[in-house]
Amino acid sequence: MFRVVSKSRTKSPWIFHLNAGSCNGCDIEIAAAFTPRYDFERFGCMLVGSPRQADVLLVTGPVTRQMLPRLVRVYEQIPEPKAVVAVGTCASSGSPFLGSQMIEGPADRVIPVDVYVVGCPPRPEAIAKGVITAVMKKFR
Amino acid sequence: MGSEHGGEKKIEVEYARLRLPFGPVHPALKEPVSLRVTVRGEEVTDVDIFLGHVHRGIESLAEGRNLIQTLYLIERICGICSHSHTTCFTQALEDIGDVRPSERALYLRTLIFEMERIHSHLLFLGIMAYEIGFDTLFMFTWYVREKILDLFEKVTGNRIHHAMNTIGGVRWDLTQQMIREISVSISDVEKSVKHICNYFRDKTAEDRMSGIGGLDHNQALKLCVVGPTARGSGVNIDVRRDHPYAAYNDLKEDFSVITGRGGDVYARTEVRILETFESIKLIRAILDRLPEGPIRPDENAFRIMRRIPEGESISLVEAPRGELLYFVKTDGKGGLRRLKVRTPTFSNLVGLKSMLVGCEIADIPAIVASIDPCLSCTNRITVVDQKSNEVRDIEMNYLRRMVRRS
Amino acid sequence: MNELTAFVVSFPASLLISLLFDGIDRKLHARMQKRIGPPIIQPIYDLIKLFSKERIIPITASTRIFEIMPIISASTSLLAASIVLSNIIVEVSVVGDLILVIYLLAVASIALMIGGSASGNPYSAIGFSRKISMIIAYEIPMFISVISIALGLSPTLTINGIVRFQSNMRAPSLLLRLSAAIAAAAFMICVPAAASVVPFDIPEAKTEIIYGLLVEYGGPYLALAKIAKASSNFTLTLLAATIFLYTPSFLGVNASQISLLLCLATSLAVMFITITLPRTIFARLKVGQAFRFYWMLPLILSTISAILSVVGF
Repeated sequence: MFRVVSKSRTKSPWIFHLNAGSCNGCDIEIAAAFTPRYDFERFGCMLVGSPRQADVLLVTGPVTRQMLPRLVRVYEQIPEPKAVVAVGTCASSGSPFLGSQMIEGPADRVIPVDVYVVGCPPRPEAIAKGVITAVMKKFR
Repeated sequence: MGSEHGGEKKIEVEYARLRLPFGPVHPALKEPVSLRVTVRGEEVTDVDIFLGHVHRGIESLAEGRNLIQTLYLIERICGICSHSHTTCFTQALEDIGDVRPSERALYLRTLIFEMERIHSHLLFLGIMAYEIGFDTLFMFTWYVREKILDLFEKVTGNRIHHAMNTIGGVRWDLTQQMIREISVSISDVEKSVKHICNYFRDKTAEDRMSGIGGLDHNQALKLCVVGPTARGSGVNIDVRRDHPYAAYNDLKEDFSVITGRGGDVYARTEVRILETFESIKLIRAILDRLPEGPIRPDENAFRIMRRIPEGESISLVEAPRGELLYFVKTDGKGGLRRLKVRTPTFSNLVGLKSMLVGCEIADIPAIVASIDPCLSCTNRITVVDQKSNEVRDIEMNYLRRMVRRS
Repeated sequence: MNELTAFVVSFPASLLISLLFDGIDRKLHARMQKRIGPPIIQPIYDLIKLFSKERIIPITASTRIFEIMPIISASTSLLAASIVLSNIIVEVSVVGDLILVIYLLAVASIALMIGGSASGNPYSAIGFSRKISMIIAYEIPMFISVISIALGLSPTLTINGIVRFQSNMRAPSLLLRLSAAIAAAAFMICVPAAASVVPFDIPEAKTEIIYGLLVEYGGPYLALAKIAKASSNFTLTLLAATIFLYTPSFLGVNASQISLLLCLATSLAVMFITITLPRTIFARLKVGQAFRFYWMLPLILSTISAILSVVGF
């Protein structure tokens, strides 16, 4: 019985994307992942608009001071079980904006991150691989 | 969302009006901006715009870095118009240091510039279609855009953030084969954009887009909006023609400035579609007349950087969203004393309030998308400084409130 | 098989078939956009996953109403689907069950509406007002067109009666009477609004009000809401396939398994025309525009068909 449940969880990860101050490059690549060339939806992924319906949180951008409380709040609104993927070099390590007083640090200083996808911006295929790795790691 | 905590997401009902928080996290917005919209029924009566969510302190970071490092940082202000930012910056530096790039370098810069314009407009069209619920057109437009991204990858090595510019020239060159491939892809893109133009003339799409978000000619002048937002209201301004830079002086005959009438969302969309055709014409002209020669000076970029004296300069380019202005003040030792960026979306956001009041909730995403906001560009700090030839009135109270929040 | 077993079996059968229909709809939608799309049994994976998530209820919600409404909504729409399905398999008929089906579908949407608005979110309040406008807009033409069929062909209010009438005449009601054809057109125009798909998915607009009524529903509640939506879509298309377009009528009265398959195939075709195709090729309308549309064309069509059927056409 439990196998059926965990198989279904890996077969239908619903994604919520949060822009915590990014330059848009990663966000465009995430949106491009749903377009016909890369087609995320064949893995069962769906981009949902409300964090209550999501399983995977994609965070982009170095976390700016103003987006920090929103990021925490959205993270808490996602029901368990959940996975977090930090997309892009900004979210993984904060560079090249490290040293600025407006940055609260890379994403893992704020919320627990499961998978880091690096690249500036990472290709949609890399983002897909990141999401699948997170899903396999957390939901199986 | 978030209704279990108090604070900014409370419902305040006064006289049957509802204050609706729109953003910063909202599926219609790819970037965070906070719009507090007061609605009565379905009609919007007031809007407050709060910026600052993407404020990363780039200008203060730039003051501690040398010029080449700042070039790398500038590129990441925005992912969609990154080449415009680097071009503007290198132009300012070349002006201070009196370094003249070769003809071929200028043409290549312009080529990537126009390709970026096409890519940005296609992105906008996709987002616009998505906002009005037209999912299929979003998929199709972004599918066409992939062709341009492939070209970027062939020429510069990356789909976004091309790193094409360096002080005194460009870094990547075109081979004959690349030129042939670019011409073929551009023709394909032209055919597809013609189809897209027809789809946007569909009855349901037109119903959603016309008559809303109106900004008439006088208001557009008064609020100092720039770029396609202004051109959609009939204001005939374009930095490529008024203050030519890069290779635009030679290419003056090959493109025309598109203006629209009506000033509503439909007019602005139409202006951008037609501008795409003009960009395609420009690219063909560039490929025809590409001069031979070196693309960058033989010297090491760091030596050139250290030779740039103390000085200041202002540089203007026409980014896909409008006029982009850079003020650069160097310190003579390869570093920066002050960098100031004024992006087009900052000017266009001022027009958003008059566009939004009086429309319905259903129109909010479409109107916000129609000024093509690039909020990562927008979040700069302090005072707005406009360099223009005319005297214009800016709504100072509004700007002051926005400025205090940033 | 006897009537009681047919009725009991049709509950899980209609759940399964409506989920499959939903999967086929998503797949076709993706293919039409040049994508591959999820596998057809994707809605089953979605449902199992949603049932296993954590249950979160916002503090500003009225808990009892918030929790119970999705259950009511899912069960009434499943009941409606199984009534229609069992009417095709065997002669299970309750007097007046056509009206019962329409009523159950209305209860399903209203229950979900009340539950969603009990969450205390301002977006749900807007979704609530939009949904009420839409219900007022489409229910009336739908109701009138169904009644005109019932009055027209051998006056009977049972689905079974209409089905048998068509089998005896060896032709679907579309081809038999003019009033039926007009009523069919009016009904099919109302289906996209009842099923909440673009261009009429206004109460659930993702980019405008973040799913409206469903914004605070997660986990098991969302699963129930999805079951409600899938089964009411299935009921609508199956209803259209039985009372307007009963294709097994060409074969006469007897064949039973084949008639079930034919009926399901027809309802799949109806789903394609009324749900998948508009979803792919149209943009979303605003509430005012949709309201005006429904009070003009479908209302006029359904009234004409009612008058014609009473007169005898």
